Amino acid sequence: MIFLLSTTIMMGTPLLFGALAEVIAERTGMMVTAIEGIFLMGAWAGFVGGYLSGSLTLGFLSAMLAGLLVAALYGWICIYLKQHQVVTGVAINLLAVGLCSFLYRVIFGVPITPLTVNPLATIPIPLLSDIPLLGPILFNQTILTYIIYLLAPLSYFMLYKTSIGLTIRSAGENPEAVDVAGINVLRVRFLTVLLAGVMGGVAGAFYSIGFLGMFTTNIIGGRGWIAFAICFLGNWNPKGAVIGTLAFGFAEAIAIYMQSTGNSALFPNELFIALPYIMTIVLTVSRKSFSVPAKLGVPYVKEN
Amino acid sequence: MMQAKLRDLLITNILAIVLGLVASGLMLLFLGKNPVNAYSVLITSVVRDGYTFADIFVKATPLMFTALAFAFTYKANLYNIGAQGQFYIGAVIAAAGSLFLQNILPGWLVLIITLLLTIVGGGLWGAFVGFVKARYNSNEFLVSMMSTYVALAIMNYLLRTFLIEGKAEYPQTDALSAAVWLPRLIPGTRLHIGFVLAVLTCVGVWVLLYKTTLGYRIRAVGYNAGAAEMSGINAKKLYILAFFISGALAGVAGFTEVNGVQHMLVQGFNPDLGAAGIGIAILANGNPIGIIFAATLFGALKVGGTIMGQMSGIPSSIIELMQGFVMVFVILSYFVRTWLENNREKRKLQKAVAK
Repeated sequence: MIFLLSTTIMMGTPLLFGALAEVIAERTGMMVTAIEGIFLMGAWAGFVGGYLSGSLTLGFLSAMLAGLLVAALYGWICIYLKQHQVVTGVAINLLAVGLCSFLYRVIFGVPITPLTVNPLATIPIPLLSDIPLLGPILFNQTILTYIIYLLAPLSYFMLYKTSIGLTIRSAGENPEAVDVAGINVLRVRFLTVLLAGVMGGVAGAFYSIGFLGMFTTNIIGGRGWIAFAICFLGNWNPKGAVIGTLAFGFAEAIAIYMQSTGNSALFPNELFIALPYIMTIVLTVSRKSFSVPAKLGVPYVKEN
Repeated sequence: MMQAKLRDLLITNILAIVLGLVASGLMLLFLGKNPVNAYSVLITSVVRDGYTFADIFVKATPLMFTALAFAFTYKANLYNIGAQGQFYIGAVIAAAGSLFLQNILPGWLVLIITLLLTIVGGGLWGAFVGFVKARYNSNEFLVSMMSTYVALAIMNYLLRTFLIEGKAEYPQTDALSAAVWLPRLIPGTRLHIGFVLAVLTCVGVWVLLYKTTLGYRIRAVGYNAGAAEMSGINAKKLYILAFFISGALAGVAGFTEVNGVQHMLVQGFNPDLGAAGIGIAILANGNPIGIIFAATLFGALKVGGTIMGQMSGIPSSIIELMQGFVMVFVILSYFVRTWLENNREKRKLQKAVAK
C-alpha cells in the first residue's frame, strides 16, 4: 500500500507539471495541443543533455529549452498567424516524433545495448521522512515532486490573487478589455504558452531521466494528452489539477504494481494500462458543470 | 475570383510541400548525407520498377480512409482525432471475422461480410464519441483521442489471448487463408482492389457532402450550429451520424490493410495512419477529391523514405520528419492564402473608391 501511494505521488509529478502548464495557458485562451510533442522533445532533450554532460541538472535545463522551442513554434503559428490550435498541435506532435527519433540516431547511431543514465534519486527530507506511513509516501520523493507541490499553491495564488493572474484570466475571458487596458493580449498568450513549454519539457524529462533512465520514442505514450485532460477535468483550476493528478497517478501506480507482481490472472494488464484513458472518458461524460474559459481556442483579432 | 483562389491554393500547397522536403533534406546534413543525392535516390527508386511504383498506391489506400474520416467530421466543425483507434477496431474485426468465417463460407462472401462488420464496428466505436458529444456535451476532441488508447489496449489484449497465432509465440494472428485476401489489381505487385474501393469512397463522400441533403445539413451545422438548429436541423443527431460515418471510414482502412496487405494482424502496425490522415486532410483543404492526390503524395513519401533507408542508411524516421515538416508548412500556407486573399480584397476596394 505504501508502495502504491508513493508511486501515485511519483507518477503524478510529471502529470501535475503538464496539467498546471495547461491550466495557466488555457486560462489565456490557448489550448496547448502540442503538449504531447513538448513532453516528447523534453524527454529526448533531457536524456541527450543528461547523457552527454553526465549531469541531470543540465539534462533538465536542455529539456526546458527544448520544450520552450516547441512551444514557441506552436505559439507563433497559433497566436500570431492565428491558425487552428487542434490541427497545428497534431502537426507539431508528428514532427516531434520524427525529430526526436531522427536526432537520436544522428547523435547515438544504432547502439547495440540501450543507452542508460542513472535516474534522479529520491531525496528523503530529514525528520519528515521518518514519520510512519506519511514519511515514505510524501517525503521520500525526487526534487521535482517537492518543486511541483510548491508550484501548485503558488500558481493558484498567482492566478487568483495577483494582477498578473487577473490579466491571464481576462485574456481568456474578455481579451478586448485587456487590450483596452493597454496590455498586449497576444504577448500575454505567447508568454504563457512559453511557460507551458518549459514546464512540459521538465515533465517529459521526468520520464526519461527522472524515472526510467533511458529514452525510447514511445516513452510518453499519450501522457501529454492525459495532462491535457486533467486540466479539463480539473475545471481549469490548480486545485482541480492536483486532485486529478492524484487520481491519474493512482491509476498509473496500479498498472505499474500489477505489472511488477505479474498478478494478472483476474484482470488483464491491458485493462490497467487503459484505465487512465477510460477514466478520462468517464469523467468527461459524468461531469456536468465546466467553467470553460470563454475564448478557449479562439484566436484574438484586434478590431481596427 | 474563384480562379485566383484555386491558383493560390495550388501554388501555396506546392510551395509548402517543397519547403517541407527541403527542411527534411537539411536534416540529412546532420548525418553527413547529401540531401540532393538522397532525394534523387527517392525519386528514381519509386519509379524503378512496377512493384515499387504500385506500392505508392498500396500505402495511399488506408491513408485515404483515415483522411476522409478526419475531413468528414471537420465539415461539421467536429474534431475526430481518434481515427487511429477506429482503424485498430476495424483491423481487429477484419482479422477476427476473416479467421472465423474463412473455413465456413466462400471467400467472396467472407470479404463482403467482413467489410460490413468493419463498417459497423468502426462506425459504432466512432459514434460513441458523437453520442457523448451530443448527450453530455463532452469535448469530442479529447474523447476521440482517449478512445484511441483504449482501442490499442483492446487490440493488444486480444492479440495476447483469443486471437494469438497457433504457435502462441508472437502477439499476432495466424495468416488469413488466400481465399479471403482482397484480389490483386495488377499481378506481381501488392496493389489490391482496396485501392479502387478507396478512390470510389473519396468520390462517394464528395457526392454525399456536396450533392445530398444530409451533406448540406452537415456543412450547415459546421458553418453555424446555432443557425442550423434554428432552421430545424437536429444538430445532435447529426453529431452521432457524422461520427458514425467517420469511424466507419477509418474502420474500413483496417479491412483493406488486414485483408489486402498484411493478411494477418500484427501488434502495433501502422501506428501513424491517424496523424498522417489529418495531415492529408488539411493538405487537401478537406476536399475528398483532393484527398486522393494528397494521400498519393504521402504514400510516395512513405515508399521513398523506406527505400532511402535501405539504400543509403538513412533512418526510416525520415518519413515522419518529412510528413511533419510538410504538415507544418501546409498550415503556414493557410496563413499565406488568407493574407493574399485580404490583399486582393483591399486592392479591389481601393479601385472601387478611386472610381
